[in-house]
Amino acid sequence: MATTTQDAAKVGAQVGRSVQRLESREKVTGRAEYTHTMRLPNMLHAKMFRSTVAHGRIKSIDTSAAKKVPGVLHVITIDDVMKVIPNPYYGPAFHDQPILAHEKVRFVGEPVAVVLAADPHVAEEAAQLITAEYEELPPVFDEVDALTSKVYVHDELKPAGTFADLKHLKDAKNTNMALDYRLRKGDVDKAFAGAAHVFEHEFKTQKVLHLSFEPHATIADYRDTGVTLYTASQGPSFVRTEIARLLGWPENKVRIKVPFLGSGYGSKLYIKLEALALALSMIARRPVKVALTFEEMFYQITKHPCTFRIKSGLDKDGRIVARKCEVFWNGGAYADIGPRVTQKSGLTATGPYEIDNVSIDSYALYTNVTPAGALRGFGVPQLVWAYEGHTDMIARALKMDPVAFRRKNLLREGRPHATGTILKDAATEKVLDKLVERMNWSQPFDNGSGTVKRGRGLGIAIKAVITPTTSVAIVNVSGDGSVTLYCGTSDMGQGSDTAMAQMVGEVLNIPTESVRVTPRDTDVTPYDMGTLGSRSLFHMGHAVQRAAEHARDQLKALAREVGEPENSNTPIRELFVKRYGMQAGNVIGTGVFKPDYVPPAPGTGLSDNVTAFWMISGAGAEVEVDTETGHVKVTRLVNVLDIGKAINPQVVESQISGAASMQIGFTMFEKMHLDGGQVTNASLADYKIPGFHDIPPMENITVDTYQSNGPFGAKGVGEVATFCVSPAIANAIDDAVGVRLMELPLNPETVFRAIRAKAGQPLGDE
Amino acid sequence: MTPFELAEPTSLKEAIKLLDPDDPTIRPVGGGTALMLMMKAGVFKPVKLISLRRIENSYSTIAATGDGLRIGAMTTLAALERSADVKKAAPLITRTLKTLSNIRVRNVATVGGALAHGDPHMDLPPVLMALGATLTVMGPKGERKLAVEDLFAGYYETVLDKDELIAEAHVPAHGTKKAAYMKVTTGSADDWPALGVAVVLEGDAGGIKSARIVASAATDKATRLKSAEAALIGGKVDDTLLAKVGDAAADEAEYIADVRGSISYKRELMRVYVRRAVRAALEGAK
Amino acid sequence: MSATKTISFTLNGAPVTADVKPHHNLVELLQGQFGLTGARETCGQGLCGCCTVIVDGLAVSGCLYLAAFLNDGAEVSTVEGLDTPAKLSPVQEAFVETAAFQCGYCTPGFILMVGQLLDEHPDPDDDQIKHYLTGNLCRCATYPQVMEAVRLAAKKRKAGAAA
Ligand SMILES: Cc1cc2nc3c(=O)[nH]c(=O)nc-3n(C[C@H](O)[C@H](O)[C@H](O)COP(=O)(O)OP(=O)(O)OC[C@H]3O[C@@H](n4cnc5c(N)ncnc54)[C@H](O)[C@@H]3O)c2cc1C
Ligand code: FES
Ligand code: FES
Repeated sequence: MATTTQDAAKVGAQVGRSVQRLESREKVTGRAEYTHTMRLPNMLHAKMFRSTVAHGRIKSIDTSAAKKVPGVLHVITIDDVMKVIPNPYYGPAFHDQPILAHEKVRFVGEPVAVVLAADPHVAEEAAQLITAEYEELPPVFDEVDALTSKVYVHDELKPAGTFADLKHLKDAKNTNMALDYRLRKGDVDKAFAGAAHVFEHEFKTQKVLHLSFEPHATIADYRDTGVTLYTASQGPSFVRTEIARLLGWPENKVRIKVPFLGSGYGSKLYIKLEALALALSMIARRPVKVALTFEEMFYQITKHPCTFRIKSGLDKDGRIVARKCEVFWNGGAYADIGPRVTQKSGLTATGPYEIDNVSIDSYALYTNVTPAGALRGFGVPQLVWAYEGHTDMIARALKMDPVAFRRKNLLREGRPHATGTILKDAATEKVLDKLVERMNWSQPFDNGSGTVKRGRGLGIAIKAVITPTTSVAIVNVSGDGSVTLYCGTSDMGQGSDTAMAQMVGEVLNIPTESVRVTPRDTDVTPYDMGTLGSRSLFHMGHAVQRAAEHARDQLKALAREVGEPENSNTPIRELFVKRYGMQAGNVIGTGVFKPDYVPPAPGTGLSDNVTAFWMISGAGAEVEVDTETGHVKVTRLVNVLDIGKAINPQVVESQISGAASMQIGFTMFEKMHLDGGQVTNASLADYKIPGFHDIPPMENITVDTYQSNGPFGAKGVGEVATFCVSPAIANAIDDAVGVRLMELPLNPETVFRAIRAKAGQPLGDE
Repeated sequence: MTPFELAEPTSLKEAIKLLDPDDPTIRPVGGGTALMLMMKAGVFKPVKLISLRRIENSYSTIAATGDGLRIGAMTTLAALERSADVKKAAPLITRTLKTLSNIRVRNVATVGGALAHGDPHMDLPPVLMALGATLTVMGPKGERKLAVEDLFAGYYETVLDKDELIAEAHVPAHGTKKAAYMKVTTGSADDWPALGVAVVLEGDAGGIKSARIVASAATDKATRLKSAEAALIGGKVDDTLLAKVGDAAADEAEYIADVRGSISYKRELMRVYVRRAVRAALEGAK
Repeated sequence: MSATKTISFTLNGAPVTADVKPHHNLVELLQGQFGLTGARETCGQGLCGCCTVIVDGLAVSGCLYLAAFLNDGAEVSTVEGLDTPAKLSPVQEAFVETAAFQCGYCTPGFILMVGQLLDEHPDPDDDQIKHYLTGNLCRCATYPQVMEAVRLAAKKRKAGAAA
């Protein structure tokens, strides 16, 4: 329940309280300012002309008709861009993405030219008049094909140099592989040879996307002395570094401001429209806004489709003795952060199970489709979809109860994960126990009769946080005693500003509501690696805690200096007045956090400290299947999570239900349809997302845990509830109608086809 | 959206004069909800729109007539949904509107637009067809009557000339007839239908005297399923008969494949939902 | 080129005049000429509700509604008209207290639709709530919290009316 202002006034109990979000008023009054609706004086609007072919060499671009449209100021291609930015390639892992298509186009929808005009309608009309001629090249779309294809999306790979484990790919030619992560533990071949049972399955996930309701937007205001970007970004620090690099400028001439963010879910990470907006503003010498329409988001960034070949060997008692994982990530035309996804989630591909002999190969692959990046789970939901389906299939084949089978193989606290890192503060047992209890698993279950069948299923998952990353925070106590927090975590709706302020309040013993969190502005907010992968509450939380403690220590020193007794209640303002003779001065606390980490050893991928913390979750589903049509109704969804201590229980609850609901969409119907690389459902009319009627009755439970190395016992919560939803539902469908679906989404036609195939009456291909 | 002109005539006659039988870039606009989608997607770039929003008020009204309803073409779907006369004479329409689009669209969209757009996914056309509704169509040469059943020529195509307007719809009252409409979605719950089935029957489970069964969305236009109707008439309505009716419907209809389902799948949906709709009509609406 | 027309109407209770081009929709009018960004275009297709505006008492999708459709004398209200410097509306208060938003992009649309719902059904049941709000989507999926907010808002409005 919401707390009242009386509670707020009570100091000393800020962490663990359901504080109302600090930005509530701006959001409910519609006055919160987002980049997409922002305007600057004298600003131009940009509209893009995009590639209609999936792979081709650009022969010519005809902009003459567009230039003639009254009101058009510039029509820009890569040639114009290169006059102001000679090396126009950007990206977090690889410098592989050109600001506009350069020589080649690599996916349908890639920006090829841009029109600038003061009136966006004029720019749009003109952009429609641009034409281009291409020499079409054969495309590669499928991630498994991409590994062996003779079609190469890039002629040469260009690792950015940011990540050590990509160095060996420098200048590599004739490959679509942007990273091959491997883990080797024990002797897999020998273990398979000696196994009593061997199971091998291939699972697939589809292409889906974030669709944050504020589409991507950036406004660049370039001046000869410096540049300011207003951008919908989850990572202003990274944007600054990359923009400075493109300009060859020091970072202090680049200012990145992030207004309110209409969510992101991973889509607004690293660098997206910023480089283009910069180039356009340099050319126009005016502020330029690049803002995507809803449709254009389908050409910006998506989740990775994935093929996962998983093979397990078991002894006669049902213990998994060997597991081999081959994961193919469909990264699209530009690497974006795909190589990170490939490695950081790849290392958990064997799941929350203790297996002595493990082999994992995880491949980041280029293909000729919209680039893929992180989406709420950083690859983990794709993995869990496969390994928890696989787990159930094995249990079924061995006629073991799926829970008993999981218990037998569960990776427990204190035991080594496949990487060699000992599992700590990872409540696998508690989560499974609680899930089993809530699902009444030990009770008989009515599978229904007639044409509607019922089933239940569950899944459990593990994730390692992206490690190592750095966060810096500043806490500023002003002369009147009021407190301001500067931190680079982008609050895109997850409530981080409020949670961070709670930590400051807790340390300084002041009400959270009195703490101001400044908007993200790299001129004042210090470095943060980015708001991603559930890392912020942990990493930035630590930095914030340290900054607040640093400020507190200085306030204590100040009190001593002005002769106040230890622990006196003198208001902070009076300390300043005593010290400076008037209300003046500041106390500045700073905090930096970077966790310990041992990089995976080359070749084996082993490390005894691979992650700052583990995330564990489980989900259980009950479903009804209409066997005449394949419609599946989820009648119950139970989410059980280990999130450490909840800093703000109300916000935690909405993160859990929000994440699980989003995954319901990815599970049941969301899918980007592609035809020859062309997206055929790039609109909300044809790409459906969950609405009120699609959300199942949900029970969200957090098990009682404390992250011993976390700030106030906390760890990340933004993604965990997505992990197990898909396999839990697929397992429930199997329980209901005895069919196994190997590919998402589980839409009615897919389910119906499987039912018919099982009955020996497969549906035709028309 | 690219610039265009907007004319706002104050009478239907004037509006017709402003239309051009040979110029597809001049088009009437009612609520604009369907047209705007096409214009925003760049599929339709009008030079001029003729707004019907200021024509005579009578075209925005609903009246109960002796044998049913007279509905002006500019009546909004929200007005239709809320009308006590409609609920009394043709409750199937009221029920259908609850799941047709959303409140904001219904507040603006018009009956004329829902029919004239020729979009096979819309819910009102199959329902009006099953109810045996007719239209008054006005053109430069005067008015003509047209059964809704004869309105659709194909995918997003009607038999209307470019300078003809739908003025009114006439809907016979249900009377003792039994009716149901079923909307089948395969994406989210609020998706456009993969299949719509409207059924209007005379008779009871002991024997059906007359039937109109109309399918939409899975087909390229709202289509009467006459062999399914024939199969239904006469015999006692039991599982065997319903299976025959479903099979006849499934065989008779022609399907289109899209993101909502393949042809093979839609055929199976047809088989099941024609059966379910007949049963629902007989059991009465909840 | 298309002709501009001048329309006089009331916006959140105050008389205003605007020059409107035929191809401008209501969102562009509000943002461009009045600096009101509470109605914002997301899907542009009438589906999500982020662009909700109340015209003459009825909710419309500003993304699909031509600005030129406004009649002289029309009454237009937006989310920005709901609060005073001292007080939020009961629906807004309820959204704050139940944390019925995350990123907040969809929130103005939800709040306006909930207002419409409660005008018509002061004591809505869950089905009525869902029915009314099917046309409002939230990618952050705050649906359970919105349900709670509506129930709380109903209580607050009743308490306010009784007081
Ligand atoms: C978000 C959304 C969801 C929707 N969901 C559904 C749904 O679930 N079910 C459903 O059935 N429909 C649905 N619709 C469609 C909706 O019903 C139509 O958009 C609406 O009925 C069209 O009416 P309008 O007055 O806005 O038409 P307009 O857009 O004004 O016109 C549509 C077409 O009809 C022509 N026209 C308009 N009036 C006349 C007339 N009197 N005579 C001749 N021609 C005319 C126009 O030239 C145009 O070609 C949805 C629409 C939207 C935007
Ligand atoms: S933007 Fe208008 S309804 Fe989505
Ligand atoms: S709160 Fe983010 S879309 Fe609703």
